[in-house]
Amino acid sequence: MSAWMGRRKWITVSLFLLPTILAILVFNVYPILLNTYISFTNRNKFRPNPDCEVTLTGLLDPLCWPAFRENAPHGLGKPYVLQDPILANYDTLLGKLFQPEALLGLFLIVVVFVPLFGVNYFNKRQERKLDEKIAPGLLWLLGIILTIALFFILDVPKSIATLMDTGDFLAVVLRTVLFVALRVPLTFVLGLILAIILNLEDLKGKTFFRVVLFIPWGASSVAILLALVWQFLFRQQGTINQIITQFGGTGPIWLNNPILAFGVVVLADIWFSYPFFMVSILGALQSVPGELYEAAEVDGAGWWTQLMKITLPLIRPAVLPAAVLTSITAFQMFGTAYAITGGGPQRGAGTPGATEFVMVYAFKQIFQQQNYGRATAFAVLIFIMLFLATLYSLRVTKMTKGAYE
Amino acid sequence: MKRKTKPWIRVMQYAILVIATIYAFYPVWFAILASGRLGDRLYTLNFLGMFIPTQWTFENYRVMLFERPFLTWLTNSLKVASITTIASLIVCTSAAFALSRFRFKGREFFLVFLLAISTFPGLLSLVAIAQLLTALGLYGKHLGLILAYTAGTIVFCTWNLKGYFDTIPVEMEESAMLDGCGPLQAFILIALPLARPALAVTAILAFMAGWGDFVFASVLVPAPDSLKLAVPALYALANSMSVPWGYFAAGAVIVIIPTIVVYLSMNRYFEGGLTLGGVKG
Repeated sequence: MSAWMGRRKWITVSLFLLPTILAILVFNVYPILLNTYISFTNRNKFRPNPDCEVTLTGLLDPLCWPAFRENAPHGLGKPYVLQDPILANYDTLLGKLFQPEALLGLFLIVVVFVPLFGVNYFNKRQERKLDEKIAPGLLWLLGIILTIALFFILDVPKSIATLMDTGDFLAVVLRTVLFVALRVPLTFVLGLILAIILNLEDLKGKTFFRVVLFIPWGASSVAILLALVWQFLFRQQGTINQIITQFGGTGPIWLNNPILAFGVVVLADIWFSYPFFMVSILGALQSVPGELYEAAEVDGAGWWTQLMKITLPLIRPAVLPAAVLTSITAFQMFGTAYAITGGGPQRGAGTPGATEFVMVYAFKQIFQQQNYGRATAFAVLIFIMLFLATLYSLRVTKMTKGAYE
Repeated sequence: MKRKTKPWIRVMQYAILVIATIYAFYPVWFAILASGRLGDRLYTLNFLGMFIPTQWTFENYRVMLFERPFLTWLTNSLKVASITTIASLIVCTSAAFALSRFRFKGREFFLVFLLAISTFPGLLSLVAIAQLLTALGLYGKHLGLILAYTAGTIVFCTWNLKGYFDTIPVEMEESAMLDGCGPLQAFILIALPLARPALAVTAILAFMAGWGDFVFASVLVPAPDSLKLAVPALYALANSMSVPWGYFAAGAVIVIIPTIVVYLSMNRYFEGGLTLGGVKG
């Protein structure tokens, strides 16, 4: 729109954007600044108050601003000061990572995945060649076998244990990554199976199943209440154990066992999130032309070949963004784990529990331990990770493509 | 050329669908059953009672609606979520319109900056926001909560609406402006009515952000009972010492069922992929 230029245009644009800019500055940019500053201090339960004489504190802490001083609570306790050394909070979180054993463990874990990357690279190079191809499937099989062999030869479980001992940060992040690695593929497979069945033309009762299977998505917007219901199902006298009793067995105490509790959280979180995949895949499937399958059947392609060669490649562009976004939101999952296990079960006091994922850990550090300094340092590290992940995902999904034209 | 599906494949397909249906529906069904059970028992020793209503009473609903401040909580939630929706629509539509229609320096930067900023998880900025609201004298008040929610919805609202404005042809506004219409009039009289479907979806998502939230509401408005919102209040009820499960279940059903109905009625919009980047999954 080029009807008006110059100063008038600038005034109009600024007026349109002003509320957004203000809100972003006050509620997004400023919290990040304050958060980063607090992460270098020893603020905690016993030192909650700002020392307004210190320049940066006086500038950043709202309790020091002259206009607000009357509203500020004057609690007991000493003022917080900058840590000495200044990175002390970060050091407690992941300092031990930089010791030789931990670095060695990290290196070994990376080595295990080398065959897979190698196969991927080799297959990509092979695509350009026309003749003398080695079957990609065979190569993948080889790569996977090598990876599993390396996993045991290099004793990866021991390396992981070493890394988990380096401090809360890695323990929590590795657990969360494991959660994402289980939850996202399982959600995808469930969503894919249901979408393919629901996409069949001659299936009776399709509308009914479509509506019922969509219910968890609606429920996910009040996730914390439904997560409590999931907790009820897996209590000692919950539905699941009652069913087991009916068959003459004795159910385990699900939420006291680290592995079982982890499984319950994964199961419940899949419940909340599979409809999103189901709906995305259904949408994508509708754009796959039916003739392709007919042609494939004439050529004698079986069900599996059709899935691998037609369905999956064609729905990939629509499903990939959904998968990446889901991974990022799964990493930040809070409500499900908090309501079901509260982060537990713990192995010992003071260590994060088996289902204490990043957000649960942050929440507990802030609101239960009031360990602000450490919690904010944790927040900064998580922010850096999420920021990089998001940049990468924007590149992969090309979500911002076309946004600038 | 239509090949007939083999019977055993059909049976398998239905088996999968039925198992998935039980998985999808049982948690909600469990809450409904528990809400109609007498006394304060969450479970019944009667095994069948876990699956079908062997006894039913509206006593829990009566207590929740007339003897507990549940209606107040619901009203609070409705109030906060509605005002959040309106505020965030006003803020976001104007920003989205400007970002979609005007070419100015820093536009690209601003769009990506919004996305980058939103990667800082809301939960982690809560300390700073709580402090800021304390200093402003808004801590423990609905207004503070509304401000925080509105700010939290801005990024996905703006991106959603901007995407939709991009698909509306600009010619109509241009001709209106040739006829002497200002940019504000072009925005309100022409672009907004055309964007109605996107506005509806965005409004519902913004509403749900406030309606279903637990963390912000429980931290920023911790007390008293008369100010609490429905979801954190119900959560607190379920975690209290003497656990009135039936009451919790009745309250939860009253909150959950309308939410699900709203989502089901929005089903077709979601399938259109209008919500990229805006939905949690």
